[in-house]
Amino acid sequence: MVDPVLSVRGLKVDFGGEGRSVPVVRGVDFDVYPNEVLCIVGESGSGKSVTSLAVTGLLSETARVHGSIRLCGIDVTTADPETLRQMRGRDVGFIFQDPTTTLNPVLTVGRQITEGEVAHGRLKKSGAHARAAELLREVDIADPEGRAGQYPHQFSGGMRQRAVIAMAMAGQPKLIIADEPTTALDVTVQAQVLAVLARRQAEMGSAVILITHDLGVVAEVANRVAVMYGGRIVETAPVAEIFANPRHPYTRALLRSIPRIDTSDSRLDPIPGQPPIPGALPKGCAFQPRCAVGRDQPLCKAEDPALVAVGDQRQSACHFAGALPAEAIAAEPRILAASAAKHEPLLVVDGLRVHFPVKTGVLRRTTGWVKAVDGVSLSVNPGETVSLVGESGCGKTTTGRAIMGLVRATGGSIHFGGQSIRDLDHGTMRKARRQMQYVFQDPYASLNPVLSVEDIVAEPLRIHGLYDEMGGARRIAELFDMVGLSRTMLGRYPSEFSGGQKQRIGIARALALQPKLLILDEPVAALDVSIQAQVINLLQDLQRELGLAYLFIAHNLSVVRHVSDRVAVMYLGRIVEESSRDGLYELPVHPYTQSLLSAAPVPDPAVRDTRRRIVLEGEIPNPASPPSGCTFHPRCFRATEICSANAPSFDRYLDFATRTACHHAGPLEGRRNVFASGAMEIAS
Amino acid sequence: MIGFVLRRLLQLVPVLLLASTAIWAMIYAVPGGPIGAIAGDNASPEQIAAATAQFGLDRPVLVQYADWLWNAIRGDFGMSIRGRAPVLELIGQRLPATLQLAVAATIVSLVIGIPVAIASALRPGSWLDRILSGWSAMALGVPTFWLGILLILVFAVELRWLPSASAYVPIWKDPLGAIRNLALPALTLGIYVSGILARFLRASLVSELRADYVRTARSKGLPERQIVGVHILRNALLPFITIVGLMMANFIGGAVVTEAVFTYPGIGRLLIQAISTRDYPLIQGCIVVILVLYIAINMAVDVLYAYIDPRIDYR
Amino acid sequence: MRKLGSKTLSILGRLLASKGSALALIFLVSITLAAIFADFLPLNPVAQKLANALKGPSATNWFGTDELGRDILARVIFGARTSLVTAGGAVAIAALVGVPIGLVAGFFGGWRDAALMRFVDVLLALPAILFAMAMIAVLGRSQAAALIAVGLTGIPSFARITRAQVLTLRKRDFVTAVEAFGGTATYNMFRTILPNSWSPIFVQVVVLCSVAILLEAALSFLGVGVPPPTPSWGEMLRTGKSYLHEAPYYAVLPGIVLTLTILSFDVLGRALADLLEGRRDAVIAPKAEEVTS
Repeated sequence: MVDPVLSVRGLKVDFGGEGRSVPVVRGVDFDVYPNEVLCIVGESGSGKSVTSLAVTGLLSETARVHGSIRLCGIDVTTADPETLRQMRGRDVGFIFQDPTTTLNPVLTVGRQITEGEVAHGRLKKSGAHARAAELLREVDIADPEGRAGQYPHQFSGGMRQRAVIAMAMAGQPKLIIADEPTTALDVTVQAQVLAVLARRQAEMGSAVILITHDLGVVAEVANRVAVMYGGRIVETAPVAEIFANPRHPYTRALLRSIPRIDTSDSRLDPIPGQPPIPGALPKGCAFQPRCAVGRDQPLCKAEDPALVAVGDQRQSACHFAGALPAEAIAAEPRILAASAAKHEPLLVVDGLRVHFPVKTGVLRRTTGWVKAVDGVSLSVNPGETVSLVGESGCGKTTTGRAIMGLVRATGGSIHFGGQSIRDLDHGTMRKARRQMQYVFQDPYASLNPVLSVEDIVAEPLRIHGLYDEMGGARRIAELFDMVGLSRTMLGRYPSEFSGGQKQRIGIARALALQPKLLILDEPVAALDVSIQAQVINLLQDLQRELGLAYLFIAHNLSVVRHVSDRVAVMYLGRIVEESSRDGLYELPVHPYTQSLLSAAPVPDPAVRDTRRRIVLEGEIPNPASPPSGCTFHPRCFRATEICSANAPSFDRYLDFATRTACHHAGPLEGRRNVFASGAMEIAS
Repeated sequence: MIGFVLRRLLQLVPVLLLASTAIWAMIYAVPGGPIGAIAGDNASPEQIAAATAQFGLDRPVLVQYADWLWNAIRGDFGMSIRGRAPVLELIGQRLPATLQLAVAATIVSLVIGIPVAIASALRPGSWLDRILSGWSAMALGVPTFWLGILLILVFAVELRWLPSASAYVPIWKDPLGAIRNLALPALTLGIYVSGILARFLRASLVSELRADYVRTARSKGLPERQIVGVHILRNALLPFITIVGLMMANFIGGAVVTEAVFTYPGIGRLLIQAISTRDYPLIQGCIVVILVLYIAINMAVDVLYAYIDPRIDYR
Repeated sequence: MRKLGSKTLSILGRLLASKGSALALIFLVSITLAAIFADFLPLNPVAQKLANALKGPSATNWFGTDELGRDILARVIFGARTSLVTAGGAVAIAALVGVPIGLVAGFFGGWRDAALMRFVDVLLALPAILFAMAMIAVLGRSQAAALIAVGLTGIPSFARITRAQVLTLRKRDFVTAVEAFGGTATYNMFRTILPNSWSPIFVQVVVLCSVAILLEAALSFLGVGVPPPTPSWGEMLRTGKSYLHEAPYYAVLPGIVLTLTILSFDVLGRALADLLEGRRDAVIAPKAEEVTS
């Protein structure tokens, strides 16, 4: 057997000092072997990032590290700073999460890529530029000679992350640590970056530790997986085993709580409660209060189980690892809202345009327009969920805000309940808005920190002068019941709540005026994986009980598939394809939709080698200077001359329910599509 | 680049116009109006008539303003009432002294401020940091006029090493004499401003030290010397340049107090004399000259900053 | 309100927990009390006793006497009244004008922002001390003139701080949320944004107190501030400077009180910035408009 590149035993990390120390990592053992990708999965606060920083001695001085870490023969915990420094430049490469901040803004990218090698004496300064260009070429950056002399702000997000990969790999390290390397990127760019990372890793035979919260990414790239919870590894196994037969209740619950892009109709099975906060861990097993198996078991309450072998190459830290029920109770099927039969549509948007002026020159004249939304048409029926999906900058949020009247529409019409609501004066708009409410993405930013949550939920009623009319304090208490919050919390302030609870408060506030339509702007994107399921279920229950219509704005294709009745895909301010949910996911006809769906990672390692993947080139163009004709043509695999000349109209595709804007619309050749249920069977 | 400079200049036009209007209108707001201001409160009717004719005060207000502005643009602020000399000439005599003091004080403040900031930022919270931060607070909190008095008390009254009143000696004529005369005022101003500079630079160093790119640099195995000297310092010095520029701009017009303490013949003292003798043309001239210099330095700093920071697109 | 009361108490508690800010607070409270109740103290700032002129500190005159034989300690305490009233009034003017300017400019943007901020820029076109001197040259020398002049120089910092705060808050979802419910601009400005802006404004009040006291003293030192015979710290230093040889304590002792007052406000301002806004290493250094050299 080969020796591991990295071997960690009994790693403990405490933060803080003077009496109060907070254990963030509490006894972690693992090995990483050459040419292997180990994924560490966990939610926020699980200690995964701290573990990765600890193994290279990069933690700040307030951290106290115990245990043994052997990296390429060096004992990291006892080595002197100079040895560690040498080791970092030679044996380990690091890729961090946010490419916008990991590069120094005032030094050229080329210099930053090569300065490690220069500092370690492996590269002469005179050869640095050529070397930088070579490294950038290896990560598929066009014009590497020119790019090496540019500054980070001149790079797009995906290019920056590729430059960081080039930097991490410059010294041909034996181990690469990537901490959430694609979390800040769009899905099509994520696919590019993961592809580059995988290719470079294979070329060099390095070991990789990839830290992520995204089970799709894990299934896509991992050889082996370590699941962390509450500062410990609770399960490790080869990737196929983890997904097929998890041996820890947390892993099982996590897999069942995420919406999947390839299946859609089972109700999500959320993990109750909140992830533990380091420093306030429950006694015994940290997962015990949320565990379907061990909750209230005396043994689990008393004793933190050790990580022990439960089979070939796999370990689990659970008292009942051997006795887990073979298959938990089948999840309830998703309850669909009674489809509203032949109602008048509640919201009709036609040709909506939102253009922002670009001002340049000495006199700040308007020299151009950013067409954030450029001719969007959609309708929402009562009781129905229509989703707007797209990558960042596609205009989905601006569309939502323009409908709500928060951003001025510069063209098109918006009708709500038969009445035009565009360009209304303030008073009329106010009345119209009572029927239509907005839920914001970031629950931390959307609640006024100086008001109690009771006042926050009551605020819309007070603004409209309806507080007493609608039942006053009793109404607020009812709203709290509706969103599953205890009435005892009424007098508290937003800072006392967790993210999931805050989002519930945001929903209660939106419901206060008894609206017919909620515009939900990425309502679960800021939440931990295990909390997302709780909020999604709540939204679905409320929709059924109150007959609400939702306009659901999101980038996460799995969540969208799970919640929607109809889906519209946006690209650069326009809808490129719109259809019923199953129509869109099973038979996408627009090349962008097809690429988007194929780029989304599927949390199932069994399909990763058989799935057809379209990796788009380039990134989303600047909306201030969109490409001519069809704005997607520079990245499109079907583009022909007509695409750069004429913009396609948004029309029905053949006699399908689907409408699309493409000169060459049509299903992918070969099989119908990777995510269609039929395709899944072929794949497995 | 030229467009950027032009745009900045254009933004200055309304400010300059408004400010000059205010300065011109000053004289009308004085009790007794412009005539009282020029001829004095106890002027005889003949004197008033003479002043009215001499200064064209019988013309329409707008004409008077346009006339004044046109002259001001050409550098003509009229005659000093008490000094009986062209205002610009009086100012011209004082300007070199002020500039020399400004440069000396800037050097002192940088020599003290930068090392203090770096030493305390490298180990935030350490005893050295606490001592140095306390020092910056003292430097800032002690009024310059009191600090000046203390310095005079020690170095002029007790030790008799340096003069208690500083004259203007051009440094190229008599370097030693110039230094003897400049030492106390430059130290007074320099200490005060070094407190500002140290506090500012320390804050930006500390926040840069926590930046993600520092962790990246460490992960590459760069020597700490290089991380601080290249990565951090480059980022922290960018905004620092602005502050240094602002302080220099302040020295030009704002060293009034220090000049008064050391009876130093700079433009600030000229202005105080003008105010106490109610010499309005001289007051207006001083303020306009200071204003123009102050704004010019501020603008130069802005442009310089945009030029050296790669992130700012100055097109 | 419950929250406000308990919050004030907890901030006070945390201020007193740190040695530096506790000392600063105690010093400021005692000097304020002394200034308020100066009339009840056995001190007379105007009683002249020429035979007793320029006598050093003694049991009867702790800080010594001035050139007219007046008790310097009494003049320092009555001078505190002048200083605190002028500074307090000036900061009040600055806040009452500056905060609404920043609020409106930041909230509405566009031409209102441009116009208001240009006005503020004019106030900034000169160093504060020169601006104040020019104002006094017009208004004539009086305590009210000093108060107004110092107040005007403080407007820009309030306007800018408030505007910056409004611009940050404006983008926050909870402000957009109020708009989405149909809240009016006025409601949003005064009920949502302003209550969330108190912390930086309050910190600025404290910081500007130290600047205003310094500025007022500087004006008096230059002989254009509060006119005699009203006792003022700057005026005392100005006269004291003429007697450096005979009576060094004359300029030194009042200067200590002045310096301690300025330092205390500065220490307190920074402690509050840390407590209220978590800006541990934030620059509470004077902005350009606050520099008095």
